[in-house]
Amino acid sequence: MNNPRHTTALVALFAALMAVFGLIPKLDLPLGVPITLQTLGVMLAGALLGPRRALLAMGLFLGAVAIGLPLLSGGRGGLGVFFAPSAGYLVSWPLGAFVTGLVMAQLPTGTPRAAALSAFVAACVGGLLVVHAGGVVGLVLLAKMGWAQAITGTLVFVPGDLIKAVLTAAVVHTVARGLPDWQLGGRAAR
Amino acid sequence: MHSLYSEHRTWLHRVPAGTKLLALAALGTGLFWLQQWQALVACTVVCAALLVSLVPAARGAWRVMRSLLVAAVLIAAFHALWQQPLLGITSALRLLCTASLGTMLTLTTRHTDLLAVMERLLAPLSRWGLRPERMALQVALMLRFAEHFFVQWKRLDDAYRARSGRAGGWRLLAPLTIQMLSAARRVADALHLRLGP
Repeated sequence: MNNPRHTTALVALFAALMAVFGLIPKLDLPLGVPITLQTLGVMLAGALLGPRRALLAMGLFLGAVAIGLPLLSGGRGGLGVFFAPSAGYLVSWPLGAFVTGLVMAQLPTGTPRAAALSAFVAACVGGLLVVHAGGVVGLVLLAKMGWAQAITGTLVFVPGDLIKAVLTAAVVHTVARGLPDWQLGGRAAR
Repeated sequence: MHSLYSEHRTWLHRVPAGTKLLALAALGTGLFWLQQWQALVACTVVCAALLVSLVPAARGAWRVMRSLLVAAVLIAAFHALWQQPLLGITSALRLLCTASLGTMLTLTTRHTDLLAVMERLLAPLSRWGLRPERMALQVALMLRFAEHFFVQWKRLDDAYRARSGRAGGWRLLAPLTIQMLSAARRVADALHLRLGP
């Protein structure tokens, strides 16, 4: 579980999960920021892989998008998407996954219930707070919005992301029961 | 999995990938600092002309450009609502310019060529234990896993239907998670045997 080949396979697996979530149809909101399941992938990667591997998985996914594979929701891809108003969210996915992993590694995972609770907290900090902070900065810089407007705008997505954090907790609960030797938050892999 | 790359050869196909990437970085930065709306209108016209010059390769770009146009209109409308129509127009035009430049690069450059450039750019990262030269393997593995998610889901759903006569739905989430994580472990072991540590 701790050699570079496991890193290769798991990083590819979670980048693939992001691609799968991208194939599920998106919902467009005003602001030009779509609602997608892809932030769920950010939270799951952090909680299940730990900071370093989660960061690499998001990096791989965004790298594949940058070289033109249409993996973002709605079949978008290419370097153009990194200049769109929602680019702040994209760019903060790696950081969000990293922070989720960091928080997860600090919290108790002794029992499945404790692991699920920890995953919820970690997902809220990394997948929600960090990603939204990055998104707001992106809206201000790229769409030239005011700070107050951008923050109001991003709040629309928070309820959906809270649901995703609950889903993350459910998946972590499953893994803690089904694969008891899984190192949640990448404990031994750091 | 279809890339946006177009096989219709255009003049931009002949420019090396590295040069195009460098030009994109320079032009993108330049556009970011540009503030006068007249200059941005001129840039948008130039970008549109460039995009038109790439027809028929640019046909595939419509999907990307459509969502960008919507975003640009929304930004302009948003700022007009807040009594700053000029700021809205400049932001929207800047978005259209940079995004169409990026799209042009994607349309005319094979992703394997861009991969090669990226591997060269990321080479310094090998000092921190990363293996940029394995990026092509990683991307291929990622696409294979993405397909495997669907295959596995279908298999679990079929099994559930055979047992109960109903679709599995969310009940399959737990077995799918466990099976995919186990699959990743098996792939890792196989890679370990083939490639060594």
